[in-house]
Amino acid sequence: MATSVGTRPTTWDLLRTHGFERRDFLRFCAITTAAMGLDASFVPQVAHAFETKPRIPVLWLHGLECTCCSESFIRSSHPIAQDVILNMISLDYDETLQAAAGHQVEEIRRKMIAEHPGEYVLAVEGNAPTKDGGVYCTIAGETFEKILLETAEHAKFVIAWGSCASNGCVQAASPNPTGAKPIHELVHDKPIVKVPGCPPIAEVMTGLLAHVLTFDRLPELDRVGRPKMFYGQRIHDKCYRRSFFDAGQFVERWDDDGARKGWCLYKMGCRGPTTYNSCSTIKWNGGVSFPIGSGHGCIGCSEANFWDDGPFYSRLATTRLPGVETTPQAIGKVAATVAALGAAAHLVSFGAKQVLSRDADKGSSHPETPQR
Amino acid sequence: MNSTTRAPVAPQVTYERIYVWQWGVRAFHWINATAITVLFATGLYIADPFLSANGEAYDVFVMARIRQIHFASAFLFAIAFVWRMYFFWFGNRYARSGFPAVWKRKWWSDLVRQATDYLTLNVGHGHLGHNALAGLAYTLFVIGLGWCQILTGFALYSESNPGGFWDGLVGWVIPLCGGSLRTHMTHHLFAWGFVVFAIAHVYIVLFDSRQYRNGLIGSMITGFKFKPVERGDDDGAKP
Ligand code: HEM
Ligand code: HEM
Ligand code: SF4
Ligand code: SF4
Repeated sequence: MATSVGTRPTTWDLLRTHGFERRDFLRFCAITTAAMGLDASFVPQVAHAFETKPRIPVLWLHGLECTCCSESFIRSSHPIAQDVILNMISLDYDETLQAAAGHQVEEIRRKMIAEHPGEYVLAVEGNAPTKDGGVYCTIAGETFEKILLETAEHAKFVIAWGSCASNGCVQAASPNPTGAKPIHELVHDKPIVKVPGCPPIAEVMTGLLAHVLTFDRLPELDRVGRPKMFYGQRIHDKCYRRSFFDAGQFVERWDDDGARKGWCLYKMGCRGPTTYNSCSTIKWNGGVSFPIGSGHGCIGCSEANFWDDGPFYSRLATTRLPGVETTPQAIGKVAATVAALGAAAHLVSFGAKQVLSRDADKGSSHPETPQR
Repeated sequence: MNSTTRAPVAPQVTYERIYVWQWGVRAFHWINATAITVLFATGLYIADPFLSANGEAYDVFVMARIRQIHFASAFLFAIAFVWRMYFFWFGNRYARSGFPAVWKRKWWSDLVRQATDYLTLNVGHGHLGHNALAGLAYTLFVIGLGWCQILTGFALYSESNPGGFWDGLVGWVIPLCGGSLRTHMTHHLFAWGFVVFAIAHVYIVLFDSRQYRNGLIGSMITGFKFKPVERGDDDGAKP
């Protein structure tokens, strides 16, 4: 891959050298605009940005992760990943996709930090283990934690790809043996955009990058730092099975009649009502389907703590009170039983006292208990 | 009580009839009790919708209707809450009685005395308003839990309209609880607090009414409580 350090051409420059025509370029701009969820009136603005702005250098780091985010990303169907990688952004360092290797590539990273401080975007896939000095993830002899902090220091802003970088995901699930921490718990002084999901939807990833390039800033974020345009609503609010939820028609077993009729998966533990993501609108694999479309509930992969808040196939999740690991319903039933037993015990002792005191002093009245 | 063996020697007792609970407090009590009962029942249904509706989805609306009832009762509950706050400030002295005045010795000694009297089955000291123990229970289980349910409940309610009024007001509760699912589970856990309260409350009201002969049960309907003339009940006046 050609490195753009020092040269920094625009996207249009690059497309032209690859032999694309103006018409192709405008089509590319239109597709990108649609991927950002913007209407056609924004196409000129997008085209202008691609013509005039130098491509954004991106350093893409991989920490503790499984590479599912990259796998998802390269399957993007709208501004196809190849276009994004080669044209929109200049991906100068990415362990998975880069051609260079070894010290050479570490050198590129250092050079980028030194030569373009405050200009490059840091994209992080995965997170950093912090226990025992961070030894559970090292690259080129350095801990990932150190690499991350060093690279983040001069970044323009940080993109936290996937649930690992955004929320910790499986490696941070209880008991979190390596002390894995999501990016926002390690990097404090940079704007961070979280793109959670295990993995995030490819079109969400490319849409975010397109937005960043076009407008040169992060899109509008929600309270926890996710782009509103992709994480503004729950799966449940746009789910095509919602009418069955409202009707009260639920799948009760994987092989029952309701399952065949495509009823709502709420009672099978569907996390759609508590998960913010675009699966029910953008869908997966170029809009082919998404989990609920294939008859399986959402497991809430883009929500924090989704591994700990199981079981996946039960509507009620485990409450994590210290030392107690059961559903709120089970805790409530025990508490109610204790209250009822307490009242019963009191009643019994009251009854016993009445009987005893009547036998002891038949006929005498209690000074403190006025009798009728 | 075996009246045949006792009646001949029992002294004649005269009772005073005192207006304690204003209409606003009584109305609050029954609206609140009804709302909580409906909220708990519909809430459990939302957690585990056991009915299975037949027919086409466009003909039935079971789950949505139950949720609608939950939300309507939730608004009623919240309005009653505010309503009772008004009476706390502007009602009669009994409307403030028992309130955990943790900075006052008098409240603490009443709390210990009442708890001991209940546990040892002594009559001890009577009250016209709420005793300190009752005041503590209402504060923790009705006001405290009530706020928890209102905050988590309206936060969940806001999710269907992101960026809307309720989102702006209480949307921050969701990240505070650790996400939407944990907010649901918190809301669900707290719901059971009302069951614990209701069991203890109804039992104590029945017991107290029998123990002190104060007409407590009917008082929440009529507003009047009874007190034997010679017994110096605490009437909640400032010392
Ligand atoms: C005494 C007060 C209340 C009790 C006992 C109560 C009980 C419950 C229970 C048990 C659930 C099921 C939780 C779950 O498993 O997901 C629930 C759900 C819910 N409650 Fe409440 N609740 C109360 C007050 C409120 C209030 C004040 C609101 C405000 C609007 C509210 C709004 C909701 C919402 C939005 C849901 C979720 C419904 C859904 O996911 O479809 N609740 N409630
Ligand atoms: C058959 C059922 C009930 C009866 C006979 C009853 C009766 C009473 C009585 C006599 C009092 C005054 C007690 C005192 O002096 O401290 C009272 C207060 C109260 N009760 Fe109940 N109650 C019933 C059910 C409930 C339920 C289900 C709830 C809510 C879960 C509830 C909530 C309250 C509250 C909040 C107060 C304080 C009232 C105030 O000061 O505004 N009650 N109740
Ligand atoms: S299948 Fe899941 S997301 Fe869809 S309506 Fe049912 S509970 Fe909601
Ligand atoms: S449907 Fe739910 S579990 Fe599946 S990918 Fe989307 S957010 Fe993740």
